[in-house]
Amino acid sequence: MLRYVAGKAGRAVFVVWAAFTLTFILLYVLPANPVDLLFDPAEVNSVPPEVKAAVAESYGFTEPVLVQYLDRLGHAVRGDFGTSAQTGASVASSIAGVLPATLGLAVGALALALVIAFVIALVATAARQRWLRNLVESLPTASVSIPVFLSGILLLQIFAFRLGWFPAFGERGWQSLVLPLVTLAIPVSGPIAQLLVRSFATEFRSGYVTTSWAKGATRARIIVGDVFRNASLPALTIAAVTFGSLMVNAVIVETVFARKGLGRMTQTAINTLDLPLVQGIVVFVAAAFALINLVVDLVYPLLDPRLRATLAVAGGRGTR
Amino acid sequence: MSDLRSTLANAGVPRRRWRWVAAAVAVVVIAGIVVAVVRGGGSGEATAAGQPVRGGTLQFALIDYQRSPDPQWGTNYAESLIGNNITDKLTWQDPATGEITPWLAQSWEYNSDLTEFTFHLRRDVTFSDGSPFDAEVVKANFDQYVHGDPALGILPNGASLLRGYRETQVLDPYTVKISFAQPLASFLQASSFTANAQPGFLSLSTLKLSADQRTDPTKVIGTGPFVYESWEPQVKTVLARRAGYHWSPPALHHEGEAYLDKVVFNTIPEASVRTGSLVSGTVDATLDVGTTDEKPLADQGFQIIHRGVSGTAIYFAFNSSLFPTNDIAVRKAIQLGWDRQAIEKTILTPSYSIAKSILEPSVPGFADYSGSVLRYDPEQARRLLDHAGWVPGADGIRVKDGRKLTVKLLGISNLVVNKPAYESVQQDLREIGIDLQLTVVPIPDYTAQQAKAKTDWNVTAANRSRNDPAALTLQFGPSAGNSTYLSADSTGVDVNEVAQVLGKLETTLDPATRNAYAKQAQDILLEKYALVNPVYNPSQVIAHAPSVHGIVFDAQSRNHFVDAWKNPGN
Repeated sequence: MLRYVAGKAGRAVFVVWAAFTLTFILLYVLPANPVDLLFDPAEVNSVPPEVKAAVAESYGFTEPVLVQYLDRLGHAVRGDFGTSAQTGASVASSIAGVLPATLGLAVGALALALVIAFVIALVATAARQRWLRNLVESLPTASVSIPVFLSGILLLQIFAFRLGWFPAFGERGWQSLVLPLVTLAIPVSGPIAQLLVRSFATEFRSGYVTTSWAKGATRARIIVGDVFRNASLPALTIAAVTFGSLMVNAVIVETVFARKGLGRMTQTAINTLDLPLVQGIVVFVAAAFALINLVVDLVYPLLDPRLRATLAVAGGRGTR
Repeated sequence: MSDLRSTLANAGVPRRRWRWVAAAVAVVVIAGIVVAVVRGGGSGEATAAGQPVRGGTLQFALIDYQRSPDPQWGTNYAESLIGNNITDKLTWQDPATGEITPWLAQSWEYNSDLTEFTFHLRRDVTFSDGSPFDAEVVKANFDQYVHGDPALGILPNGASLLRGYRETQVLDPYTVKISFAQPLASFLQASSFTANAQPGFLSLSTLKLSADQRTDPTKVIGTGPFVYESWEPQVKTVLARRAGYHWSPPALHHEGEAYLDKVVFNTIPEASVRTGSLVSGTVDATLDVGTTDEKPLADQGFQIIHRGVSGTAIYFAFNSSLFPTNDIAVRKAIQLGWDRQAIEKTILTPSYSIAKSILEPSVPGFADYSGSVLRYDPEQARRLLDHAGWVPGADGIRVKDGRKLTVKLLGISNLVVNKPAYESVQQDLREIGIDLQLTVVPIPDYTAQQAKAKTDWNVTAANRSRNDPAALTLQFGPSAGNSTYLSADSTGVDVNEVAQVLGKLETTLDPATRNAYAKQAQDILLEKYALVNPVYNPSQVIAHAPSVHGIVFDAQSRNHFVDAWKNPGN
């Protein structure tokens, strides 16, 4: 068991280190002189060379690449990714500053997406009419196919500009969260719903359900009492995929609704080639990914007795 | 799917159907949409100008946001625009005439070499923290502006604007002398500069702060008509009226404090959300109006105000050291080879204009070349190429000594007009046998490629925002920006002559002589050596509700809100 945990944890650390190293190579070694990027492009040629040299010196860009790498890695291990080239604020505090906004959005959207997904799965399973079942089952595919950009603008046009129910941009309490939440929840709910519809269907046809029928249980009781619990577990396995989908779509949602957040900061950081900030964000997101996978790996045996048994046997024999 | 299961399931009593719920939801959604569509937007407020009214909050929308509240740092429009409203400059340049007029400096004189400028400061100006604005503050500002402060993480933001800055001497508490290593006539205009990385004055307490500490907006202290109330990166900046302000530029004829209580700069990246917010009344005014949105907004009763971005036009700078743009015939043919009217008709709105010189028309010393080299004359272009030995190849692209007439252009995609305009030029040039290849990319990619421009790119397309003819010296001077890569390889170009002609702009402030020098500079860049092909004059466009008045465009087309006001009840 310990070995299992250590192995999974080691893999997570490796992923984070690899993300750091790859971004370092991509950002610091390959493209333009990072000093040039600190100046207005129209003016960069007219900046006196001695000024550029002084700036390069102060940012440590003149050191050998390996020294820069080790120095940055050393600092990164302590959570210090330097200062953003575009704002002068520390990368850690920049990320910390926008994180609550994105977390709030992501957690809310995830909750809403789960509700949507379960409703879809329940309706698809419970519905006796073929047309209704078909309609509901096609919803996940549709939700993934509509571009977030489009659904966001559409919701804005109707509920913000025409009806005036919700603010169009910025942060003004819970009302400003409604439209972004819905927009973000739609694409995120798709894969979860699809997975649930399938596993609900599978469980619904399994033997213990027949037993319940035989005992006289109602359709609703069977679905909620038996199927729901067993069919929900697989949703955990796509937690990382869901997280990725949340992050990617958050960029668009935050842009359309002019919200602050990690997604929009990422976009700006890439657009302005703010190297320290891009690296900080990439490593942070990689760490979050790794952590989620790690937690899923560790929690799964707790939820699924079969897996726990396998691990216990393997551990007892002292083999891999 | 056992029969047993189905039998068991179907044996139950039928329950209420989901169908009704679904139908109800559908009805509500459809009703909502219908109501939404029927209740159209549109604001029909009366246009009542008249006497300015004090009070109110102006909600303003724009695409960018301030990455830091520090106004001396910044390369985007939000940064310079907001900086202009919390800080003041030594002088104010009249946007209409280009004349430099008093502001924080009441008067000034300079030596005949234009290496020393003495400014006599107003004595009644204070920072919003109560500390005085005086000679010591000016010195501390300029020193840090030019040299930066590595220990504080402050970049040398003013190094390119104040080239050759030597020092600022405090002659008495309200008199400063600023000196340069070489003549710098353009410094007088630089003292009024309002665009990126501007010399707006910060209090001594602010100058001591690190770049990180300056992200606390309440600690960034200026003398301007507004003070920071809050700053939320990516979202908005809120400015509040500065009590006791009474030193706006005399040329603006504004007495006392700003009219508005607050100005909120809302960052809205999406164009449709900006216009939607304006139409629905959520914001009073929006900058960054797309070319296709101008007319619909005007038709709905919104007012469109604009000003060309002073400085250079959006230009193609030819790489004079690289084949085939090292051939003057190619450069001249490109100048003549594209239809300006087509771009004016299909791409530009009345807020924009086709370039008639390398300088924008509002820049002092502007001369009109639309009748000479900057005209559409494909026949003449063909003749020039024929003469130079370029013969049409099989695919229509001309060839000389086995090498194709392929011209590689590197451009920036930040302005929406850029790409379509370049594509129009590309089409026309193909007709005369020139293959113009476009690479139009975002700013950082442009900057990255620019490092290789001397050897890889025939054309770099850009502009420079500076309402002074010395923008040409900065941008094209062989010892400064050298955007046309003048070198020993530049066939047929006397590099010393270009350096000398452009350099003269920094040697006089006599308007007549300076205009003559500006003409010579334009002559040599456009006619004699055909080093540049100006395309169009970019513009800053604002759409605002009829209830809004008095938004000022300054000489660099940035906005000032000291004189802006709103009709009450809006």
